[in-house]
Parts: sequence; C-alpha cells; structure tokens
Amino acid sequence: MLVAVHITKRFGDLIALDDVSIDFTPGEIHAVLGENGAGKSTFMNILAGFLTPSSGKVLLDGSEMPFRPRRSRGRGVEMVHQHFKLVPAFTVAENLALARLDRLGKRLNVADASEPALRAARGLGWDLDPKALVRNLSVGAQQRVEILKCLSGDAKVIIFDEPTAVLAPDEVRELFRVLRELTRQEKTVILIAHKLSEVMAVADRVTVLRQGEKVASARISEVNESMLARWMVGDMPALRRPDRFAVKAVALLAKNLKVQGDRDEEIIRGVDLKINEGEILGIGGVDGNGQVELAETLALIRPRKSGTLDWKSKGLESMSISISYIPQDRQVDGLAMSLTVRENLLISGQRRGELRLGAFWRSGVVRDWVRAVVEKFDIRIESPATVVSNLSGGNQQKVVVGRNLDRRPDLLVAVNPTRGLDVKATRFVHDQILKARQEGAAVALFSSDLDELAALSDRRLFLSRGMLVEGGIAELVGGSP
Amino acid sequence: MNRRRMLQALVTAVGLLIILILTLTAFGLPVMDSLKLIYQGAFGDKFALSRTAVKSTPLLLAGLGMVVAWRGGMYNIGGEGQFIVGGLFGGIVAKLLMAGPSLPPVLGISFILVGSVIGGALWASLSAVLYIKRGVEVVISTILLNFVAIQLLSWAVEGPLQQAKHQLPQTDELPGSLMLWRPNAQLDFHAGVLLAPLVAIAMYVLLYKTVLGFRIRLVGANSRAARASRVEPRTTQFQALAISGALCGLAGGVEYTGMAGLLGTDFSQGWGFMAIPVALLGGLHPVGTIFSALFFGAVFAGSENLGRFTTSGSTLLYVIQAAAVFALVGFRALNARSPMPATPEAA
Repeated sequence: MLVAVHITKRFGDLIALDDVSIDFTPGEIHAVLGENGAGKSTFMNILAGFLTPSSGKVLLDGSEMPFRPRRSRGRGVEMVHQHFKLVPAFTVAENLALARLDRLGKRLNVADASEPALRAARGLGWDLDPKALVRNLSVGAQQRVEILKCLSGDAKVIIFDEPTAVLAPDEVRELFRVLRELTRQEKTVILIAHKLSEVMAVADRVTVLRQGEKVASARISEVNESMLARWMVGDMPALRRPDRFAVKAVALLAKNLKVQGDRDEEIIRGVDLKINEGEILGIGGVDGNGQVELAETLALIRPRKSGTLDWKSKGLESMSISISYIPQDRQVDGLAMSLTVRENLLISGQRRGELRLGAFWRSGVVRDWVRAVVEKFDIRIESPATVVSNLSGGNQQKVVVGRNLDRRPDLLVAVNPTRGLDVKATRFVHDQILKARQEGAAVALFSSDLDELAALSDRRLFLSRGMLVEGGIAELVGGSP
Repeated sequence: MNRRRMLQALVTAVGLLIILILTLTAFGLPVMDSLKLIYQGAFGDKFALSRTAVKSTPLLLAGLGMVVAWRGGMYNIGGEGQFIVGGLFGGIVAKLLMAGPSLPPVLGISFILVGSVIGGALWASLSAVLYIKRGVEVVISTILLNFVAIQLLSWAVEGPLQQAKHQLPQTDELPGSLMLWRPNAQLDFHAGVLLAPLVAIAMYVLLYKTVLGFRIRLVGANSRAARASRVEPRTTQFQALAISGALCGLAGGVEYTGMAGLLGTDFSQGWGFMAIPVALLGGLHPVGTIFSALFFGAVFAGSENLGRFTTSGSTLLYVIQAAAVFALVGFRALNARSPMPATPEAA
C-alpha cells in the first residue's frame, strides 16, 4: 500500500500542496481529480520521486520512499507520463529496453531487455511489432509502449498522468480495459484526470484536489459527477448557448477541396462545405483523418491542391478578412514556449496596424494592448514578461485563445481547442467561441470530443479518411445529444 | 535568478584562471609572470587597451551576425567565409576606386564597407537559398562555403586582385585615404571600434523593437507556431541569414579598412569562427555580445603579448584561446546541469 503522509510542497511563496495525505490501496484504480493548477502533477511527481516535498513523506508497504526517480522505480513505483518519454527514432523494442538498462548489458542485448515488457504486452492482448519505429506509431500505440515500459519491471504502483488527453474514444475504452486488468494483478493504479465522466467510468475511488488542498476522498459509488464538479471548482453556472445570430448569409464556401498532407499523400480527398455567418460548423471524427490539414487549409496556412475556397462568393485569399486559427497542439503549433506571454500575444498582434509604426512596435500601445488582453482573458501571470513555458496548460491556452479572439474574427478555425484543459478553462474557451459566433463569426470547430461538438456546434459533419460525411451525434455516441 | 547567473559567471572566470594556470605550468612557464604579461597585454597601457579594442571589433561585428542568425534558428557556422567574402568585395570596390577619380575619403570608405556588407550577405544568402529551395542544412552549407571562400580569396589575390608588382599573393595596400580614421597614429584604435557598439545597439533595436526582429525570434523559437499564424518561416529565415552574413561581411570590411589594409591569404585569423563562442557567451543577446567580445578581445591581446615574450609563441596563444572557449563550454554545461527552478503547476 502506498501512503502519502502530510505532504506539503512550496515553490518560493507559492504553496502547491498543503498537507495532503492519501492512501492508495492495491487492486484499486484511484483517481486524483483537480483543475489545472490544483497540484495534481506536483503531487504525482512527488510520489514518483521526481520532486522532494517541503515536508511529509511517502510510505510504500510501511517503508519510507526515497525522492529519487531511479530508486523509486527500483522499488516499483512507475509513471506513465502525459508527454511520452520515448525516442521516436528507436524501435519499440529499443524503447522498451531503455526502461531496463540493467538488463541491457554491455553488448546491448535489446531482445533480452525488452522481453519482459513484450511478455506483458502479450498478456494484455496487445499485438505490437517490436521492430516498428516509434515515430511511425499512432499516439495510442505510443502510449502502449509507454505503459509497457512500466510493466517491464516489478511494478507495484503505476501512476497515469492524464492518459486520456491524447486518445481517441475507442483508444480510451481500450486503456480503461487495461487499467482494470492491472488492478486484477493487484497493482495500485493512480489516475490523474480532470474529465469527470472518465473518472466515473473507471475509478474505484477518487480524491479531489483544489488549490493544493485535499477537498475530499470517496468511493466512486458514493459520488456523482455534479458532486465532483462542485468539489473541483465550486459552483458554476451551466453553459448557456445563446440563440443563433440573426443573419445567416453564407460566409465560407468550399468546393471540392483536395489537400496534400506532409508526406505528399492526398489527405483531403474532395471536401465541400459551407459555413454561415454566426454559425459553428462542428467537424468531428477520429484524429488523423485529415482534421488538421483541412483546418490549416481553411485558415490559409496550408495550400490546397485543387478546389475553390470562397468568402462571400469571392476568393478567400483575395479578401482582407480576419482569420483566427486555434491550432490543436498549443505547445507545438500555438506557442513559442521560450518566449514571453507578451511576445506570444504579439504573434497575432503583428497584423494589427495600430500596434505598429512602420517596421517598429509602438511600445506604449503594445503594452496597453497586452495588458488589456491579459485582463480580458484572465491570464494569471506575474507579468507579461513571464516565459510561457512557466504557465499552466490552461493559462497557456488562454494566451492562444486570447490573441485570436480579443477582437471578433470573421472566420475562426479551431482544432480541439480544449484538449487537456480542466473544466473551468474548457468552459472559458467554449464561452469565447460562442461569443465569437454570437457576434457573427463563421466558426469551423474541429473536435474529437463528441460532447464538445454536441454542446457547441449548430451543424455537424464528420471527417473520415479525407471525406466529409453527414452524421448526427446520436448515432455516434449511442444516445441523444 | 540573476545572482545565480553572476555566481556562474564568477565560477567560469575562476575556471578560466585555473585552466590558464595549468596550461602555463604544462608549458613550463613561470605562472605569475605569465599572468602578468597577459594582463599587461590586455589592459596594461593605452597600447594594450587599444589592441584589446581592435581585436574585439571584428569579434563583436561577426558575433552580432551569429546572434541574429541563431536567434532565427539558422545555425550559421559560416561567419569565416562571410567575413572573407566581405573583405574580398571590399577589395574589389577598393581596386575600382583606386583606378577611378579620387573621391572624398568618407565616401570611398563607405563604398568599400557597403561592398563588404553586400558580399557577406550574398555569401550567406547562398546557404539560405540552398536551405529554402533544397532543404540543405544550413550548418553544412555554411561550413562548406567557408572553404570555398578561402579558396576564392587565394585565387583572387594571386589573380585579378594581386598587387601591381605581382610578387606576393596579396593585394596592393590601401592608400591612407581609404583607411578608417585613427585618432592617434601611434595606436591601432580606429573608427571601426566606435562603429561596432553602434551596430550592436542597432541589432538590439532590430531584434527587440521591430516587427522583423520579432519574426526572426519567433521563427527561431518555434517555426511551426510562426507558420500557424501565417508568418512564412522561410522568408524570415532568409532575412535572418542574409543579415547575419551582412554583419560578418561588415566585420571583414572593417578589419580590411581598419587594420589589415590589404588582403592576403591569411586575411582572416579565424574571426568568423571565434564569433560563435563570442555570441554564445554573450547569451545570444546583442548587448551581452559587446561584453563577451571585449572579453575575447582581451584574451587575444593578452595572449599575444605573452607570445612575444616566450619561445612557445603563437602555439600558446591558441591554447589559451581554446582554454577560454573550454571555460565557456563549462559555463554552459553548468547552466544546463544546475536544477531547473521547479515550475509549479499554477502560474
């Protein structure tokens, strides 16, 4: 049994964790729930030995744990990171062998070192090609490799850091099956999460953290989603979807779009779509069916191979309309992580005439504008000179959303704009998108989250292997929207 | 945070001193006397200070070139080639000027320096075009173009640019009117020494106060984010590398009109290469680069002075310069190794 005893962690003046004690029982899936910034990751990093607490201790079967990651692993505490720790240019077997350097030996016996993990894979019914290069694997398959790394030793406790954030719905179901399988082997499974429905579906027990404090701990049978939500964020008003914008002129019209992917394959194979002013067109589907490529084409980032793209019956390129683009991965496409908040806001600011005097920035105007956006979008930072990588995920996304929506765009293209965000931040982004729609923007919302599509979009299409198909939410989720 | 930086700089300086002492001991030199010679060579009198200044100048100009390129994610290793081609273009302009009617000196020198700037920019643009059109790594093309530039210079000074007497593989000397102004004829100190910090300030303004500079830094920090916000990375990358080449070319032109006065096969003494550690030690920041160029300039001047008084001469000079680079590498390793300030989830 893993027991955290009175854990407190301070970073300078900030108290990230305040006297948190939790017991984790073998054979159980114990979810730790909380908003971004609630202290979940700090707590998990302490359990896995990556961070040393300011006070308190962690006991495994009664003996105190060292706060050293390698020694923690040696004692059987493993962690599946949200951002995979894999070497893309290595094969599956080589990545698995890396987790067992002790078995790798001087002669680099990869087969030997990866064997325990591959055996575990067979036990879970996974068919993985050990010779496949990790970079060619889907995200779901990469996560399996990451999980297998943890199973290559004698793991007693496995911590999953937001494992569903990157997965498609069917991959999530498979992950949950594996979590249950692990508990049957009497392992302790700790699941960091912020999606209530997932916690309700899979966990046996849940602990909620809020602002570094433990709010409550309960068996899952004793709670429901709204209780958990209240524990997480306090009371919140329901999402109000305002009535549709009155004018419904066709704004964006795409005909027979064909687009090439990064490997010159034809990834969008003839797409027709139209979006009205003040309308959100939801585009769903499993990731990797051309969502990002289509979104980039609509936002005029990726050139199209053929087809027409018109804005109010004139070529989109020729129109000087404002297009906002919220990319899918804020850390990859959205933000320059080593630059400051101010500079990341200026990414869209460079198109603002009033911020510039010819080639120069008007520093006073820029300062005021940055301050206004930070305030309006409630970006919690010490100063605009804070480097973006120091922000929580929610605040990072607010920077992306803020710079795109501080003024109403004519066309908004967003891809999974709330991925990895907590309830409150998700609600914030949703409100902003609805506000843009209410003010007459044409919105193309790409999302693999069906709940999100159901909640926001006026019409829905689904992208499947580069083609759009009509579909109701109902048949896809097996219930009414 | 800043105190930690200072501490690390101190550790680096002490490390440099220790490496220096070890080197001197290995060469069998009296340590204290040698250190004194190095110090005197760099700071001892006005001659020493002037030497430190003129040695810092090409390092600063070329170092600024590295700052602009590297900030834009274009890892220019071709400062040496761009420096040489800058000198070469300056030499061509000078030859034309000397053949034609005489111009006011300011105008003549300006033409030479503009020629150098264009030469350096063109040379770097070759790499930029290769990268943008063909995906050739900038690191590789800039390194290789260094060798091409060296050969080009050798050919030129034995061919079209060779001195009228056709004896040595070098150009004619520039007339005094085409040399940069020197306030004191006894000293090497020339107008280029004053120009370089002004260029540094201009580069600071470019990078931090203009939209182009912002784009360069954005593309360098994350070219995908730039693309996703419809800033075409390739245009910006081209601009960054061209500006970088222009600065290295200017360094060549200033060295030509300020110090060398003629072009020979040994025109560049590795200034373009040394510019890289100079820029890195300067934190890839224009203002920081002023200080690191001064530091390296002092090391050069000091070790040269030591070389004059010992039989080991220039060998020792290179060892000491290399020791300075090693100390710098150690500094950076120290920076990377020391635990990151833990970032709390909440911001």
